[in-house]
Amino acid sequence: MSAIEIDDVHTYYGQSHVLQGLSLTVEAGENVALLGRNGVGKTTTLRSVLQLTPPREGTVRIHDEDVTGMATHEVAQRGVGWVPEERRMFSHLTVAENVRAAIPPDADPAERMQLAFDRFPDLEGLRGQEAGSLSGGQQQMLAIARALVGDNDVLLVDEPSEGLAPLIVEEVVEALEALPDDMTLVLVEQNVPMALELTDRFYVIDHGEVVAEGDSAAASLEDDRIRRYLTA
Amino acid sequence: MTGIVALEAALQPAVAGLDAIVPLANLGGLTELADPTTLLDIFLNAISKFGVYVTIAAGLSLIFGLMGVLNFAHGSLTMIGAYLGGALMLTFVSEATSDVVTIAFFFLALALVFAIVTAFGAVIEIGLIRPIYDRPPLFQILLTFGLVLVFEEVVRIVLEIQDIQPNVDWTEAAGTRPDVLGFHEILGVTTRGIYQFEAVVGILVVAATWWFLTRTSYGLHIRAGSEDAEMAQALGIDVRRSFTVVFGVGAGLAALAGVMLMWDPRYGASVGLGVETLLIAFVVVIVGGLGSFKGTVVAAAIVAVVDALASWMLVNDVVTFSGLPELVIFLVLVGVLVVRPQGLFGVEEVGGH
Repeated sequence: MSAIEIDDVHTYYGQSHVLQGLSLTVEAGENVALLGRNGVGKTTTLRSVLQLTPPREGTVRIHDEDVTGMATHEVAQRGVGWVPEERRMFSHLTVAENVRAAIPPDADPAERMQLAFDRFPDLEGLRGQEAGSLSGGQQQMLAIARALVGDNDVLLVDEPSEGLAPLIVEEVVEALEALPDDMTLVLVEQNVPMALELTDRFYVIDHGEVVAEGDSAAASLEDDRIRRYLTA
Repeated sequence: MTGIVALEAALQPAVAGLDAIVPLANLGGLTELADPTTLLDIFLNAISKFGVYVTIAAGLSLIFGLMGVLNFAHGSLTMIGAYLGGALMLTFVSEATSDVVTIAFFFLALALVFAIVTAFGAVIEIGLIRPIYDRPPLFQILLTFGLVLVFEEVVRIVLEIQDIQPNVDWTEAAGTRPDVLGFHEILGVTTRGIYQFEAVVGILVVAATWWFLTRTSYGLHIRAGSEDAEMAQALGIDVRRSFTVVFGVGAGLAALAGVMLMWDPRYGASVGLGVETLLIAFVVVIVGGLGSFKGTVVAAAIVAVVDALASWMLVNDVVTFSGLPELVIFLVLVGVLVVRPQGLFGVEEVGGH
């Protein structure tokens, strides 16, 4: 069963035609990287999946259900977690409140909270601190923790290494490697070696379309399919 | 008392100098501020104004904080609340009704008006405001300003039909106020029970709102949505439903304040109550910082104290300029905007949708 199926999607920002008939499929439990230069539509692809920027044409399916035109919170409730670019903490809420806000109403909050802190022990000591006061690395861990405490089996992660020191990036890589095996991961990342290391397959996007795809294990920065679309 | 006399003597030269340069002023009267009875008088007036201001402004602040909507019709909802409350009280009580029963009915009227106007606010949000969330803020301003005109005219029509004069206070409704909320004395200060009653209701509203926002998951979702509505939706939170609830509750709080003001001899139920209370509510919300509930509470306290002090100066002929309370309140607004444009506890970004 496909976790995500995007079929001939056209998405606009006002008059700007960003996704121009993009199609891709991500199988359940698969880790997939979206590669490409800045501004080609990678983030918009994730936003279109969540219906944050709803496509004007085409369909988006989550677990074979058509979610096109659905409200974002309803898409999220179907098991889609989002770790956005620049983390987007609720900066005036505490670490614990940021996590609690993501726990579904029918789940045991204490149990889910402990689950998050077991996975990211560094956050437990910061639970009463305002999220806006955390370092970039701590915020990234919190953003991932927040996306995991829901009943999510699909994780959309956007530029997780952006603005982080190399040592912290290693911690983020470890956190993503430690995701449950049955979790589907869609990773948008400018750091191509890191993206290929973390994923099974990749798609290269250019001008709002998929222009290449392949197995991550067999690819590298020297791969012509990747290099020609990543250099200006 | 020796200390007070010494303080008065120390203040005399300074205020005598000010008298000479400030027109329309008898600043020598300021020496009375050293008298504890005067301070208690100002304090009692201030806490009653705090109760009124915070009850009205809390709703306005919540609505702007979550939804980014400046609701110009907020004061009109206070005015509607005053008339609804008055109508209910006239239905419930007669001259033979005891004070205790009258107060019990008043709480029933508060609850009923809150429920009715909360539901009305929810309908306004769903039917009128929701379709224009994605439009520029000017659309929301024009819409809510239009609602002010519609509400005022509808109320005028009803008042004409019911043969209730719309341009002066509704004395029959104010007459349902029980004697226990009339004049009485506290430590040598003559005051009205309604003032303390307003203070208690205001403090209860603050406590209940604070508890709701910080101790319930719904409140957490509202605070999250206030900071970043898009992110909150992506976590599975139905922000639109939160919008409806907050707009409804905000409208309900405005109306609840109106019910209190119906009994308050400084206000009373009148069509002009809407604009009168809207201006103060805007000042409180802007001084506190748009969208910050904590800021609203602190600003309501500051504005109430300044207003009470200015009112005391006016009543006691320290200054004879009748617009003094309004002048100093707007000076507070200007001062805060100059020194801290985002307000005392303003958040950098609100709305986010």
